[in-house]
Amino acid sequence: MTFIDFINFHIVPGVVLGSIYAVGAIGITMVFGILRFAHLAHGDLATMGAFIALSTMGLFGASPWVGLPVAMIFAAAIAVGIDKTFYDYLRDRPKILTVMASLGVALMLRSVVQVVWGVDSTTYQRGIVRPDEYFGILLRDRELYTLLAVATIVIGLEAFLRKSKWGKAMRAMSDNPDLARLSGVDNRHVTMLTWAIVGALCAAAGFLLGLNNELNSMMGWHLLLPMFAAAILGGVGRVEGALLGGLIVGIAEELSVLILPGQYKAATAFVILLLILLVRPRGLLNGKVL
Amino acid sequence: MKLKSTAALIGSIIGASLLAATPAHAQNVKIGLLSGITGPIAAMAPPMIAASQLAVAHVNEQGGIGKGGKLEVVVGDSACNPQNATDAATKAVNIDRAVGIVGPACSGAVLAAANSVAVPAGALLITASGTSPQITSINDKDLVFRTVPSDDYQGRALARTLKGRDITKVAVAFLNNDYGKGLAEAFKAEFESLGGTIAGYSGHEGSKASYRSDLAELAKGGADTLVIFDYGDGTGLTILRQALENNFFKTFIGADGMKSDAVIRELGADNLGTFFTSSPVGEASSSLESFNKAFTAAGQSPDAIFTTTSYDAAFLMALAIEKAGGDNAKLAESLRAVSSAPGEPIMAGEWAKAKKLIAEGKDIDYKGAAGDHEFDKNGDVPGTYAFFKVSGGTYESLGEMK
Repeated sequence: MTFIDFINFHIVPGVVLGSIYAVGAIGITMVFGILRFAHLAHGDLATMGAFIALSTMGLFGASPWVGLPVAMIFAAAIAVGIDKTFYDYLRDRPKILTVMASLGVALMLRSVVQVVWGVDSTTYQRGIVRPDEYFGILLRDRELYTLLAVATIVIGLEAFLRKSKWGKAMRAMSDNPDLARLSGVDNRHVTMLTWAIVGALCAAAGFLLGLNNELNSMMGWHLLLPMFAAAILGGVGRVEGALLGGLIVGIAEELSVLILPGQYKAATAFVILLLILLVRPRGLLNGKVL
Repeated sequence: MKLKSTAALIGSIIGASLLAATPAHAQNVKIGLLSGITGPIAAMAPPMIAASQLAVAHVNEQGGIGKGGKLEVVVGDSACNPQNATDAATKAVNIDRAVGIVGPACSGAVLAAANSVAVPAGALLITASGTSPQITSINDKDLVFRTVPSDDYQGRALARTLKGRDITKVAVAFLNNDYGKGLAEAFKAEFESLGGTIAGYSGHEGSKASYRSDLAELAKGGADTLVIFDYGDGTGLTILRQALENNFFKTFIGADGMKSDAVIRELGADNLGTFFTSSPVGEASSSLESFNKAFTAAGQSPDAIFTTTSYDAAFLMALAIEKAGGDNAKLAESLRAVSSAPGEPIMAGEWAKAKKLIAEGKDIDYKGAAGDHEFDKNGDVPGTYAFFKVSGGTYESLGEMK
């Protein structure tokens, strides 16, 4: 195998896939960090976002990218609604109840997708796209745009968390909710804002996955394990950690076939998750211990 | 005192009416119809269910079961995986009291539903699309049958066809489940014994977002042809797309699972000039013609995969129930009796005739839309396959495979 083949067929897909994992993992890490529970409906919310984008595209008959902002807004509203309807009641109960509730929400969301959009695989754009060559590296437009979109999302989110008043409030609540409340941070507003951002990120992850592959009602659920592995690998509560974790998991999955039979590709995320919990439970970038 | 006597009166009335009702009242019989309504074969499931429902409609229109009873169908989603299949089969057999199951659709689902539900409960199971060679060897107390031939035949026929087309070097990508693995093993054995070279042979898990690295590994062997044993509505679509987009291979061969409309719909017929699939087909017969006519009249396409076998599975189930005459322990024995030669031939749709002959105690032999269905001792049938290419937005047969 030549070096350029290695880049084209292992590293490039790994980076693209990893950056999609990263967008999802950022949402997971935020829920983990600020609200302190594992959100199992994350994947199915991503599926829903992807399908909302599909419908938007169908409505305007334009490029799928038109669907992205619409899907992000809708998914944000759905996430806030889910929190108000299901999770809010359980806030003062043990967190495991909320985790279980989120599993129920996942099943509900998936069923809604199956009822509304059906169960067949579908795509944003029919046909196949052959890649363009950039100095020997094969890239498709959609892959370039995916990377660009992920970069924009991450930079925007970082800026928001570091510079804005609300971003600082979210970080404060992540560090210590009681202290944050004493300092005048309204936990309810921060919770709502967190869900809105998480919902939007879910939709983005689902959309990007759909853009690079196919859409189907199970796409998000299958994304859940690598996304959790990425969030924990990077360090819970750390946005840049989730980005790093996502890239590592994505590339590791694509590289795994070089040394392991293809059947074990899906296990790569598991192994990474186990190793990191065993060796460095705080994650690469020193997140929270759960 | 009064209360007591009233209760006694009511009790005796109920008891008497029950006694009186049993022989006089028609007994409806329930069967479970399980298919992969969600999951990787979701696109194939609706026509399969419609075909089975058509058989049930024929039964009920032409006299029903027993003395005026109807055949009732409980549809369940086996989702093409063992867990859902077990749940759906358990519900059908233990809650809805179905005497038999038509389905489930996928091989892994069939193995699970048979081993953990149907066989222990003594329910007859006829699958119309579970093709794994593994199903042959289930310890099934003669309760598991299929109207579709084992993939052992299909894998071998495909190997011979490829050799016949002068393809001597291939790479094989198979979905790591009972279906994909069974096919791949049969194909590999036959292809190598014919002197062909397997230049890459790798299983994969379903539902990953990228298979480019898997494909790069497979392509290393230098084969131009990729054989994909997977589902065209699931991972198979992803693999085919990524292989096409990256020029890993020139020719693509799939088995019945890849013969999905989703492949043509999403990738476009223009890009599929070098994509071929094998698929079981019904042998030309008057039975097949009458099925085609009835199914078309019902607004469905008889060319959709596994429709003939689905029809036959449900029809055979009904024949077995009728023949057993209410004794569920005799279902399997009855199934063999109504399907094997000799006997008065019964074509697809001829329920009234079959019912009359059974009532007269005559032997019948069902000749189905998909074939004669002479079950061997494992409940398997031999099969006929055709080789398909994509043409004008649909699959077009290139002729029978030897």
